[in-house]
Amino acid sequence: MSSSKEIFSQISPSEFFYRNRDLAGFSNPTRSLYTSVREFVENSLDACDQKRILPDIHLSIKAADSEQPDPKHYVLTVKDNGPGVDPKHIPLAFGTVLYGSKFGLKQARGMFGLGATMAILYGQITTNKPVTVKSCADGKTLDEFVMLLDIQKNKPVILKHTTKEAAKSGLSVSIVLEGDYSKAGTKIRDYVSQTSLITPYASITFEDPSGEKFHYPRIVKEMPPPPTAIKPHSHGVDVETLRRMIVDTHYQIPAVDNKMIEKVRKELGMQKKNSSPKDIFNRAEKRWADLSRPVRTIIAVMSFMNIDFERLRKIRIDDVDVANKKIAYWDFGESQSHIVEVDPESTYYKQLANTVQGETLLTFLTKRFQRVGPTTAEKFCEFAKFKSEKRIGSMTNEELVKLADALQKFDEFLAPDPSCLAPLGEEPLSKGIIKFFNPEFAAVIQRNASAYSGFPFIVEMGIAYGGDIPPAGLKVYRFANRIPLLYDEGSDVVLKVINETDWSRYKVKGDPPLVLVSHICSTRIPYKTVGKENVADRPELERELKNALQYLARKLAVHMSRQGIAEMAKKRANLYAKYVPLIAQFATELSGKKKEPNYKQLVRMGSEIEEQI
Amino acid sequence: MRLKNKSSRTKTAEARKQRLLSLLEKHGLGIYEDLDKGKFPQFVVPSRSVNNIVYDKKLRQYILGSANSVRSARNMSQLRSYTQLAWLAFFVNRLVKEGKSSTLRDIYYSSQAFSIDFEDQPESDNIIVDLEAVLASPREEFHIFPEERSSVFGDLTIEYTVPGYEGKRVNLSDHPDGYLIGPSLSSAELVDTNAELVIAIEKGGLFTRFVEENVHKKFKAIIVDTAGQAPRSTRNLLRRLNNELSLPVVILADGDVYGEHIAMVIKSGSANAAHLRELTVPDAKWLGVWATDIEKYKLPTIPMTEADIKRIYDLQKDPRYQEGIWKKQLEAFLKLKRKAELEAFSKYGLTNITDKYLPAKLEESKSL
Repeated sequence: MSSSKEIFSQISPSEFFYRNRDLAGFSNPTRSLYTSVREFVENSLDACDQKRILPDIHLSIKAADSEQPDPKHYVLTVKDNGPGVDPKHIPLAFGTVLYGSKFGLKQARGMFGLGATMAILYGQITTNKPVTVKSCADGKTLDEFVMLLDIQKNKPVILKHTTKEAAKSGLSVSIVLEGDYSKAGTKIRDYVSQTSLITPYASITFEDPSGEKFHYPRIVKEMPPPPTAIKPHSHGVDVETLRRMIVDTHYQIPAVDNKMIEKVRKELGMQKKNSSPKDIFNRAEKRWADLSRPVRTIIAVMSFMNIDFERLRKIRIDDVDVANKKIAYWDFGESQSHIVEVDPESTYYKQLANTVQGETLLTFLTKRFQRVGPTTAEKFCEFAKFKSEKRIGSMTNEELVKLADALQKFDEFLAPDPSCLAPLGEEPLSKGIIKFFNPEFAAVIQRNASAYSGFPFIVEMGIAYGGDIPPAGLKVYRFANRIPLLYDEGSDVVLKVINETDWSRYKVKGDPPLVLVSHICSTRIPYKTVGKENVADRPELERELKNALQYLARKLAVHMSRQGIAEMAKKRANLYAKYVPLIAQFATELSGKKKEPNYKQLVRMGSEIEEQI
Repeated sequence: MRLKNKSSRTKTAEARKQRLLSLLEKHGLGIYEDLDKGKFPQFVVPSRSVNNIVYDKKLRQYILGSANSVRSARNMSQLRSYTQLAWLAFFVNRLVKEGKSSTLRDIYYSSQAFSIDFEDQPESDNIIVDLEAVLASPREEFHIFPEERSSVFGDLTIEYTVPGYEGKRVNLSDHPDGYLIGPSLSSAELVDTNAELVIAIEKGGLFTRFVEENVHKKFKAIIVDTAGQAPRSTRNLLRRLNNELSLPVVILADGDVYGEHIAMVIKSGSANAAHLRELTVPDAKWLGVWATDIEKYKLPTIPMTEADIKRIYDLQKDPRYQEGIWKKQLEAFLKLKRKAELEAFSKYGLTNITDKYLPAKLEESKSL
């Protein structure tokens, strides 16, 4: 048998996405054009939301050469009035994959800002044309970058960078990509119009390749309250997340450089002269309460080595081994490593130990997780069989797995905090629906927050009936985190819930002029597929959707029966107005009278009396 | 010569007309006054539901029981049908006053001139039956006739009352095809006859044969073609011949359960017309063809169908079939499970039925 040698090599994130672009919705020219529109529009809306700016979005799609048949090259431009991007971040933000500002835990349309770079990447690989980014972050200067992406190195290649004066902030991104508007057009127009429905505080303009303009003006001037970034919920973390959290919270030994030494001297008030170690420690003792944590740590290390600032400048702390009470450092002057003993009796020992081993489990739980108080934390420690004073920095791998496991299983944690969610709110939703559909009846509901697997979510729903809605049966508009979901309707949980509803119970018959708007907000929408077009049927989610739907359906039923009663009364009045004069006419001739009887009274009575069966 | 006595001689048809008109006026006045007083008018309609149809042994016919339903203009769901009924009364009043006649189909269309919409003809037909029940008069008196017509032939002098023919007399033996029993004949006065018998026969073909064979002369008979189940105008004429001219009525029908029932309906009416009197001839006699005749006269037969047999079982539950010849023949039919038509006598020659069978049966009927 011949032996073969496998070659292992690292690939860049750009290259990874390039090879797996199907996953992100760039499988063909039709889908890619649609996905690109979505990514840019959603980025713009998210940016405006974050800075509480009423969004003004301009989207345009122009054929590079309109004579060519589809699929062909299109210029896609999305312009907003958002905060813009600081020019120094632009090359990285738009020229590398996995560079983003959305890694926090709160509701946003896109995650990580990956999609926009994917669209740029897709444009570049299909047309070999650069992306043009125009940004004004300070309201004075407009920076224009023309860039290509170095896929293998995951680095931007700036072809041109110019600046000029500008009047207001905003961002405009323009790419050239291969697309098929003849096929994607319907979806894109649906997307834009439905986006305006769920974003009634935005003004959106779309200019299509034929030059036709679709303008959706702002319906409400108030923005819904912004979501706040929050700490994770205990049910929503796995071992890896836990490990990262511990590293984050872990108090690191600060890097000792000139800047750090300046800081120490400044806090001690010893900038000028060179002081002896003894002077330093005396001064530190006096000012201890006012010293910052990194400074205290540096002082502690210095005390064990009994050194001054001159000497500190020449070493690098390599390891603080609290368990073995040793500090290892590298001496630049001598070019060799040293180890010093640490006296556990020293007042500085505790400072150092705490710093390295991190917080106690109790502090970690109460400080790093949402909605965990000391009582719950104590209970949890008992449940998980950990000592509450155990330092999280001292946990072994097995202990971490055990901890993560217990966090999932312990059921006395409070439900996740919904303040990280940004539902639209009943009033804007209602206004949007009324403006959008001009119905005869509309009702909306925002359910209380609920959670699945540690992720909070809120269901908002609206129903509209009659008016300008065509009597073509129930039409469902699905949204998740203010994004319209247009594909894969059939397998969606919302559709499942709707299909399980017996509409005849709510006096809705035949093909009613009925519209349902469903909006699910969550820090993590449980999508069924990477395409993010249909939501999975989690039981908690299904229950909330069902409750919302039933509430609205009951409202509709009340409206329908009111309308029924009004119609009945009208019908009554019409019937009596029609028939009583006829009866009078017949009776007059039958009885041989000349003059008709006075039947006016009866017509009025007839329309007033209650229905009797 | 049978002559009606003087007092009722020209008045029978006229009297009925006047009775109807005054009844209509009375209803009209009632409605008029209700409207004037701000009261919702209503009609009391005798219930024609199955529960309210009972057999009256004394009258020897089905009649309606005492249950009534009220159709009120107060009730929105009845307002439309109330108005339809009021319209029909109004329209009938015009028809009768002006001496015009109309058909069931006509009524359906006439309503549209007055913004009274009937969904379909069954709906208007139903309103007509309602008015019959309210006024206890058959629709023929309203001058409303069905499409089907039967005929009469024989020595009977009538006097027309219809406009343009008032006072004109006709003898019904003048035309060999017979006279249609239509509106003018139904409203005519029966003046004079030399006949001593009325023979009602189920089939037009045999009616013609009877005329050709001079049955009317040989038996001094008025011959009536019922054309199957006798229409109400025909039954009404038979009754008048029996009542006003005291002529006995005999019936000849096919030798099957349906033939037997045709005879029974002429004699005692149908459940459908339980709200009406004066459509029956209680003394009418069923001559045949009986089940026992089929064997006795060795008639060619055809087997009964399932439906025929089921019909026998149904009729056995009817109170009128509980005795006498009616009961006996039903049982015989059931045993025989075969039937014979009137034409079956042709096996023995075309005149066999008039020469042999009819005289024999007339003789036999005397003992019934």
